Parts: sequence; structure tokens; C-alpha cells
Amino acid sequence: MLKLEGVSVKYGSFSAINSVDIEVEEGELVVLLGSNGAGKSTTFKAISGLEKPGEGDILFQGDSIRKKSPDRIVKAGIVQCAEGRELFSRMTVFENLIMGAYVHRKKKALVKKSLRNVYELFPILEEKKNQDAGSLSGGQQQMLAIGRALMTSPKLLMLDEPSIGLAPLVVEQMFEVIEHINKEGTTVLLAEQNANAALKIADRGYVFESGSVVVKGASSELFTNDAVRKAYIGA
Amino acid sequence: MEILTQQLFNGLTIGSVYSLVALGLTLVYGILHIPNFAHGALYMLGAYVTLTSMLLWDFNYWLAISISIIVVGLLGVLMERLVFNPLKNAPPIHDKIAAIGILLFLEAFAQLMWGADYRSMSTPYGEVVNIFGTTVTMQRVLINVGAVIVMITLYLFLKKTIVGSTIIAMAQNRKGAHLVGINTNKVAMLTFLISGALAAIAASLSAPINLVFPGMGHLVILKAFVIIILGGMGSIPGAIVGGYILGFSESLGATYISNDYKDIIAFVLLIIILSFKPQGLFSKEGV
Repeated sequence: MLKLEGVSVKYGSFSAINSVDIEVEEGELVVLLGSNGAGKSTTFKAISGLEKPGEGDILFQGDSIRKKSPDRIVKAGIVQCAEGRELFSRMTVFENLIMGAYVHRKKKALVKKSLRNVYELFPILEEKKNQDAGSLSGGQQQMLAIGRALMTSPKLLMLDEPSIGLAPLVVEQMFEVIEHINKEGTTVLLAEQNANAALKIADRGYVFESGSVVVKGASSELFTNDAVRKAYIGA
Repeated sequence: MEILTQQLFNGLTIGSVYSLVALGLTLVYGILHIPNFAHGALYMLGAYVTLTSMLLWDFNYWLAISISIIVVGLLGVLMERLVFNPLKNAPPIHDKIAAIGILLFLEAFAQLMWGADYRSMSTPYGEVVNIFGTTVTMQRVLINVGAVIVMITLYLFLKKTIVGSTIIAMAQNRKGAHLVGINTNKVAMLTFLISGALAAIAASLSAPINLVFPGMGHLVILKAFVIIILGGMGSIPGAIVGGYILGFSESLGATYISNDYKDIIAFVLLIIILSFKPQGLFSKEGV
């Protein structure tokens, strides 16, 4: 479904990611592991079209999306839920969700259905639909960010560190929801530092270190890989 | 008492014009963080296009204003495409230099086309009417009513339509706008279109009570900057409230303090308000 072939992104002379190869099959839940600055977010930005790769190609369902603008990539079916959540903080929860469905603004029935789905997934959002996004708690904001991303009816959902800064109990819920979204048929690409929780729900994983993929494999393999265990799971 | 109501009405009229100009300026600032110094030149061209359409082709006032809105709106879009968009990854100072460049270019262009003479615009609404015991010209009533209609329309467009909401969304979070699939180039063009249109409306409505000349935008744009700074950069309510505050204080100041110092009042007000509220009256970032 998604294929990165030797993608490199440079910020000036600093190379943020270096010939990264990643493949995601339809229906999979794939995790990118790595510490801060390892290149996970840059990889996401390259896929979303927010940073243009200097080298390499990105294929989505067989077509190159490397040169497409961010809005065309969203229309094609890839949506990113970024690490900073990037909500419209002085719009209400409802308005944020409606903006999420911007690319489908003319399909009223679809928007209504997506909204129903999001409210079912996160009942708290329906409860607080008339409150400003900025007034929500961290966990609720993360739910709204995921909800807003789901409003685009994505084929591929990319989540950049959804567990960051959340209480352990909320993190657990968050991963349950992500697993649920995946089971419902959305392909998920997840970036995480919390390897333990992420590998439990993921099919496969890639481990990033200073801009390159150093280990890849099925979740069970990564779980038992000594280097990964030492670095990210703390066994 | 009669003088007071008369001056309050004048203040309302001046404030309406200032608010319209400041709104265009604040919209552009809100989404692109560009202080568009060339906005005053758009205002000046708005008056010239209306005047020319009326004199040269004998169009009626309303048709002339419509043409002016379209021409100046498109000029705004052209500015965004040719100048500001190519500079989007450049350091912010380049935008400012470019904006001043456009200002100088457009003013020189107006001098070349229409000469440096002061011209007056005639209006079909010159008759005098009596409102609440105050005698005013119909044109002044038109400025007030027109400005309020434009502001309400703009508000409804920004708040109630999805296309309008994209402007607010982009002002609040540019990256978030990218993430939900909003084409930020289109939003930028739309914003410049609206901004140019607002300048054309303000200029066309107020030209009959002022004069039309190449430098007519100078003082207006300086005051519009004062308004958006004291209202909070990028804030829409700030631009409206700021415009009226300035309008009232100028007309009252001209009557009760000194007519010669009326243009300085804006800047004194700026210093006073910023001393107490350094972020501006409506200090939230964005819209």
C-alpha cells in the first residue's frame, strides 16, 4: 500500500533521514520505533508532503506521491495525526471535526457518518462538542486529534507519538482505540517511543537510529531482539 | 449638544472606513504574518478605479464600485502569487521589503496613469437628510450602513461557511490546516482577494467625502496599522473595535482639542493603550 524507497530528507546540510526503506501492506499496523530525533517525525512529514525528500520515492497504492502537495496527499487517503496535535485551539470540538472532513465537504452523508463514528469511538468528544479545543485535557485533545484525522476517512492513518505526555491509564486506552481502528479496516502507521505498548498491538516494526532504519521485523522478533529490548523496552 | 451628536456621527463614519481597511490588513497578517504595507496602495487604487469607471465609461456609482472590488481584489491575488508566495520560505524581512516595494510601484503607477492632481468624486447620494436632529449627507449614512453590512457578511462568511472557516483555521494553526488537507495556497489567494475587495469598498465609499490622489493611502494605512496593533495583530474584532475607537477619538479630538492635531491622536492613543495592554486589546494570536 505504502512504499518508501531510499527516501532522504535534509534540513540544510543536516540529513534528518537517510535512504529509508519502509513498506506497509493494506490492513497492517506497523510501528516505527526510535528515540527523539531518530527521524520518525521527518519520515511522517515526507509521507504527508510537508517536507520534500531530496532523494528516493514514495509510492502510495502504486502511484508516486513524492511531488504531490499536502492537500492532494490527504485527498489520496493518507492522513497524519502529528505529534503536537496541531488542533485549531480556538474552534470548538465540533468545528475541529468538521474541518477534519474538509476534503469531503461536499459529501454531506459521508461527513455525518464519519462524525457518528468518531463520537462512538470517543463519547467524551460528543459531550464536549461545543467547547473550545484548547480547553480540553491532554488526553481529550489527543482523542480530538485522532478523531479529526479519522474525519478524512483515511486509507492510511499515521499517528506520531499519540501516547506522549499522557497518563499511563489514558495511554492504555489510546492503544486500545488504535488497535480497534486498525481492526475496523484502516491501515495504521504508528511512531512511538513506548516500544512495549506499541509492539503489543503492531504486526511489524522498524527501528530508527540517527536517521536510518537499523532493525526491522515482525513484532515478536523485535520483542526478543536483544538490542531493541535494551534500548527501548528496558529489560 | 448638537455639535456632540454631529461629531459622534462623524466619528462613526471615519471609524467605519478605518475598520474596513484594518480588517483587510489584519486578515492578511493573521494567516501569512505579513505586514502588508502595500494595502494603502490598494485602497488608493480602489478609489481611482471607481472614479475612472464613473468618468470614462459613465458607469453608475454601484457598477463602478463592483468593478473596483473585482479589479483590486484580483490585484491582491496577483500580489500574493507574484511576490509573497515566492518569498514564503525567505526570512520575514524580505516580505516587508517587498511590501514597501509594491507600495512604491503602485503609487508611481497611479501618478503615471492619473497624474498627481487632487480629484473629487461625485456621488448620486449628495442630498442632506435629517437623522435624530442631526443634519448629515446621504453619502455618510451610506458609508456607515455599507460598512456594517460588509462586516456582517464577512463575519457570516468566516464563521458559517466551510471555505471561510479555512481562513480562520489557517490563522490558528497553519500546520493543522495542512494536515486536514486544506490547500494553503488557495486560502492565501482568497485572503488577499478579500483584503483587496475590502480596501476597494472602503475607498469607494469614502472617496466622495474626501479627495482622490496618489498619496491618499498614506495616512489611512498608517492608522490602519495603529488599529491592528492596538486591537491585537490578526484579531478581527480588534480591527473593528480599534477602527471605531480611532474614528471617535479623532472626530472628538478635532472638535474639542484641536483640528490641527487630529492626525496625531491615533499615535498618542497607541502609546497609551500599549502601555496598559502591551499585547493589544484582543490579544489572542490569530483570529
